[in-house]
Amino acid sequence: MINLASRDILHGWGKFVFTGVGLGLLIGVTLSMAGIYRGLVDDGRVLLQNGGADLWVVQRDTLGPYAEPSNVRDDAYRSLLGVRGVAAAGNVTYLSMQIQHQGGDVRAMLVGYEPGKPGEPDYLVAGRPITRSHYEAIADVRTGFRLNERIRIRRHEYTVVGLTRRMVSSGGDPMVFVPLQDAQEVQFLKDNDALVNERARTAANPAFNRPAVPGLLEAVQASQASSRTVNVVMLRLAPHADEAVVARDIRRWKHLEAYTRADMDEILVAKLIATSARQIFMFLVILAVVSAAIVAFIIYTMTLNKVREIAVLKLIGARNRTIAAMILQQALGLGAIGFIVGKTAATLWAPIFPKYVLLLPEDTLRGAALVLVICALASIVAIRAALRVDPAAAIGG
Amino acid sequence: MAHPAIEISGLTKRYGEGDTAVDALKGVDMIVQPGEVVGLIGPSGSGKSTLLKCLGAVIEPTAGRMTLAGETIYDNGWKVADLRAMRRDRIGFVFQAPYLIPFLDVVDNVALLPMLAGVPNGKARDRAREMLAALDVGHRAQAQVSQLSGGEQQRVAIARALVNQPPIILADEPTAPLDSERALTVIRILNEMAQRFGTAIIVVTHDEKIIPTFRRIYHIRDGRTVEEAGEARAA
Ligand SMILES: Nc1ncnc2c1ncn2[C@@H]1O[C@H](COP(=O)(O)OP(=O)(O)OP(=O)(O)O)[C@@H](O)[C@H]1O
Ligand SMILES: [Mg+2]
Repeated sequence: MINLASRDILHGWGKFVFTGVGLGLLIGVTLSMAGIYRGLVDDGRVLLQNGGADLWVVQRDTLGPYAEPSNVRDDAYRSLLGVRGVAAAGNVTYLSMQIQHQGGDVRAMLVGYEPGKPGEPDYLVAGRPITRSHYEAIADVRTGFRLNERIRIRRHEYTVVGLTRRMVSSGGDPMVFVPLQDAQEVQFLKDNDALVNERARTAANPAFNRPAVPGLLEAVQASQASSRTVNVVMLRLAPHADEAVVARDIRRWKHLEAYTRADMDEILVAKLIATSARQIFMFLVILAVVSAAIVAFIIYTMTLNKVREIAVLKLIGARNRTIAAMILQQALGLGAIGFIVGKTAATLWAPIFPKYVLLLPEDTLRGAALVLVICALASIVAIRAALRVDPAAAIGG
Repeated sequence: MAHPAIEISGLTKRYGEGDTAVDALKGVDMIVQPGEVVGLIGPSGSGKSTLLKCLGAVIEPTAGRMTLAGETIYDNGWKVADLRAMRRDRIGFVFQAPYLIPFLDVVDNVALLPMLAGVPNGKARDRAREMLAALDVGHRAQAQVSQLSGGEQQRVAIARALVNQPPIILADEPTAPLDSERALTVIRILNEMAQRFGTAIIVVTHDEKIIPTFRRIYHIRDGRTVEEAGEARAA
């Protein structure tokens, strides 16, 4: 027996292929949507891994530092080092900002960290770690900065000494790492006018400007000009230390919140990107419905155009099963073309997306299964129409 | 002596029920021998197509009896379990338009019938080619349907009706779209095939040109058949 479905497709392949390509682009968008969601989650995981931290210590009653703002005094790390099981502590700050670059500006997340301590990006794709305590930077490749390039952040110029990959904020902004003190200065820096103003106000305050106490005014002014807070203290634990126990001790004695990696993961997936995930899911549902409608419509019109042939086939003794199989195979063929086009398109255009698109093989498999199920369901209407065709119609009046 | 190919007695067909019921056939009697080509003529609405549909087992008669090659297929109810297989194996159809399948080439249009009956593709195509050759369209076997002339298409359609060598062929106005020369050719071919394969052929027609070619004609009027001798002489 010859395959009627493939013969029909080959006979009118132009229309079929065009529809398949159109459907494929829709499927490509769908796969990309799923990939963007996976990318969000994966970016978060990479971010958590790259700092080399076991515990994140943040301001009490906050979900900081990524999901909520958090401020911790920058000397808190000293007492944290005293907690049993803590091996290393590093202060880290985060600030979203625009950085001038080649006439335009790049949106980036400025990260301040202490070289050699938790929070340092531990994997560079080029260059070297920061070795000087000022005016060196490590940038994510997505910023477009190049090695040894000089970039301007607020008042100072920094030299890009290293490049990372996949270090982005939960909003997708690439990170720029600078020494902690520089970052603190940027984060809490006041412009010159404000500084002069502040100095004058302090000087005019009799409580601070006491001739009897020399040096007081200078000390107060210096403390106002520099920052004394960070957003998170990242801890690395000693081998065998139980992170849950250490976290509990910190909560109880230090009046700070401490999150394990599992906690941070949960905050990231369940809180920070939950809305994005729901939004993407909505898109997926709509795209699935649109794809189903397209397949149903095309297969239905293809079938209606063949009513006479179907009547003849029935008259000369073709089984209903043969006719239903022909239509089902055409729907599945359309789905297969669409899926191949979609998968190819999604793979090709993934690198162009501003956000990381992670196409997981299991999502691809799920997508393929879903496409075939949708196509099979969409062919039901056409199959029912074909089965209703009366063989007597071939004989006519 | 062998059985008649077709034997119909007291066949009735009523469409619908109650006030709107139409009695399309009111008691049809007909006998056709193997190898015979008979004409079936009558005014519009007289029930010609209805009779063909009953014989072709695509609509169910209301009452009466139909026997094909000695086997009773209908006696106030179908006597055959698989009507689809019966159509496939015992009845060939030729229509006013060729009704070929446009997405199959010529040979597969014909080979499809034996294939549906379970004959392997190669063998089915061989049979199709043979039959196409018998109808003088063998050289067009690999062509697409759309590349054939109207007359060639009708011959392919006849090849399709004949390829399973059914005892009966039902033709509903097979010459309507053809000019008189081609129409006569089609009738000549049907006669040849009837002779060669012993097929009984019923040709429904309005066509004045071909009516004189039948030896025997059934005239159907108001749902009843009247048999008439045709003009054609036994040659
Ligand atoms: N499906 C149907 N339902 C109801 N009435 C029908 C149906 N098919 C045919 N009829 C009626 O049955 C009668 C016979 O119809 P039929 O089609 O057999 O005529 P015909 O001899 O083939 O006519 P024509 O030469 O115009 O093709 C007509 O009165 C027609 O209206
Ligand atoms: Mg008719």
